[in-house]
Amino acid sequence: MTAATTDVAEPSQDTRKAGRFVYVAGVVLLCAWVLVPLYFLLINTLSSPEAVNAYPKSFIPEFDLGSLTFFAGFDGILTALKNSILVAAMTMVMSILIGAPAGYALSRFEFRGKELFRLLILLTRAFPLPLLALPLAVMFIRTGIDDTVFGLALVHTTLAIPFAVLITFSLFSGIPIELEEAAWTLGCNRVTAFQKVILPLVLPGITASAIFAFVISWNEVFAAAVLTIENRTLTAFLLQNLDTSPLHLKFAGGFILVVPALIFIFAVRKYLFAMWGIANR
Amino acid sequence: MTLLSKFFVAASSIAISCSAVAAQAEVLFWSTQAKPVEEAQAMREQVLSGAGEVDYQPNDGGPWITRLNAELSAGTGTIGVLGALHGDFSAMNTDDLVDLDDLGLGAASDTFNNLAKLGTGNAKYIPWMQASYIMAANKKALEHLPEGADINTLTYDQLIAWSTNVMEATGEAKFGFPAGPKGLKHRFFQGYLYPSYTDGVVRTFASDKAVVAWEKMRELWAVTNPGSTNFSFLQEQLLNEDVWIAFDHTSRLAAAFNERPDDFVAFPAPAGPEGRGFMPVIAGVGIPRTAPDMEASKALIAHMLKPETQIATLRATNFFPVVDVELPGDLPPSVQAAGNAVAIMSASPDANPGLLPAGLGDKGGDFNRVFVDTFERIILAGQPIEAVLEDQKKTLKRIMDETGAPCWAPDAPSEGACPVE
Repeated sequence: MTAATTDVAEPSQDTRKAGRFVYVAGVVLLCAWVLVPLYFLLINTLSSPEAVNAYPKSFIPEFDLGSLTFFAGFDGILTALKNSILVAAMTMVMSILIGAPAGYALSRFEFRGKELFRLLILLTRAFPLPLLALPLAVMFIRTGIDDTVFGLALVHTTLAIPFAVLITFSLFSGIPIELEEAAWTLGCNRVTAFQKVILPLVLPGITASAIFAFVISWNEVFAAAVLTIENRTLTAFLLQNLDTSPLHLKFAGGFILVVPALIFIFAVRKYLFAMWGIANR
Repeated sequence: MTLLSKFFVAASSIAISCSAVAAQAEVLFWSTQAKPVEEAQAMREQVLSGAGEVDYQPNDGGPWITRLNAELSAGTGTIGVLGALHGDFSAMNTDDLVDLDDLGLGAASDTFNNLAKLGTGNAKYIPWMQASYIMAANKKALEHLPEGADINTLTYDQLIAWSTNVMEATGEAKFGFPAGPKGLKHRFFQGYLYPSYTDGVVRTFASDKAVVAWEKMRELWAVTNPGSTNFSFLQEQLLNEDVWIAFDHTSRLAAAFNERPDDFVAFPAPAGPEGRGFMPVIAGVGIPRTAPDMEASKALIAHMLKPETQIATLRATNFFPVVDVELPGDLPPSVQAAGNAVAIMSASPDANPGLLPAGLGDKGGDFNRVFVDTFERIILAGQPIEAVLEDQKKTLKRIMDETGAPCWAPDAPSEGACPVE
């Protein structure tokens, strides 16, 4: 009997071990997927031009600040950074303010043309920006919101809304309406029930769509380059010029473009993780 | 939740306070040139420092033309001065550019000044700076030069032999060619290979001599670094030594000479049976009809043509002056090397200078496409040369007929549209 039990136990332990190995390998691979390019970006940013062009590459940065110093003295880079943050923040606020109620309506109410509405929302992403930029720019110039942070944020909001609507739609759908109804019976009206019961539950999802909005706005170049001149965003200001720049400046410029977005995502990660119930641990 | 809501409140309040930003009374210099960050910085700090309030904004071609078209169709704009290549201007509607004859400015070369009229009777832009394409090599490659070859009088056959020697010695193909997505390969065919082998570009496109030219191109490609389809700025490959011998635009080789001046040499493009074909690059400055302050824009153009500004521009961008200037002795290594190579190239007894395609209007891109497609089909896809040339000839003929563009050098002059023979 004992022999039989060990016979059974051993393969299951093996499977568990193998499963664990696959799990760990998967985690390591995914982390490397994200971290290795960032690490290379970092070392090349902190390397002298000679080291950047040399091969094989060193894995230890030599802390040469030449490339970063160049950008520190680059005219207008701080203004561009400020504009980028402003546009991204406004895009976040506006896309949530518009997108979340739309998502709520889609999940809670039945109305005519609901399917069509969902499709139309996605359609805003169906047209490439270079196609839309010309008529948009003409209209912006005529209405006077050309070359303003607000005007650009409007365009970026349009790009971000489909994500905001669809993410919040699935969030609200995941919360049973009974919760809301219970709150109504306990003295809440629609607004307070939403505020006290639903909002805390959907906050992580809202954060996720806010991050989407932020990243969409942060990365967008074409509209920013056409619709702003004095108030350029960092991406429009730098990205177009980087592809023709020497390699070491490409790396440093790329680093400068990536870091603020990373800092932002790091700052709001608490709200994002709450989605999987591990908040504030 | 509290942090997030605070963040939202802060963001929206900043947004409201910033949405009303006052426009500044600067001249906006909207350029497709001097785009790399270092060049843009040098333009702002050195070239434009004495020109009053100027906002220098270099852009990719797409946003550049889109913004310009938006301002033209809105009828009001912020762009004061346009800086672009001849090809960018010739793709525009000439009515959208202000006549600049009253400035009394121009290049030392009448050829350039005539190009700048864009087929009208008036100066539509003022030539601003010029460049060309040259060869550059790592000094390590020089010992492999075939016997009797001089880099300053190189022929295409010698170039192929040289690259073959290098390949045999190192085991790697070390000739580099800007065939990448942003590379300027079409100019090599239009201004170098075709004139050198056929003494023409359009008329001789599918001639027997053109077949020879493409056969040579195939031989050259066999000893070319296969990564070339990814190279757009050969200075990078020269610096990391993937490439020892390279052909490219002078300003796209500059970093190599400036970073390691002792390691590289610059020399003229090779010669073929019909001479040493080469072609200039011309950038110009113009004013769109929607410029907000015409006087300030014209003053800026006048500033760009001053001899001292032209020298500052040369230092900043590696593009040479178009007016007669005394070049100082302390120019950066890239400028000295390129200047020398261009001088030897133009003064060589077999020089066969070509001109930029002219009169193609907005078909300039299609014209380039013909050469790029031909290259891709013959060289990369290995299709038979005669068949591809016969096929592409139809496209070329259609472009010439549609635009009615007359022949330009080195093609013999034509009555009406340049014929593809």
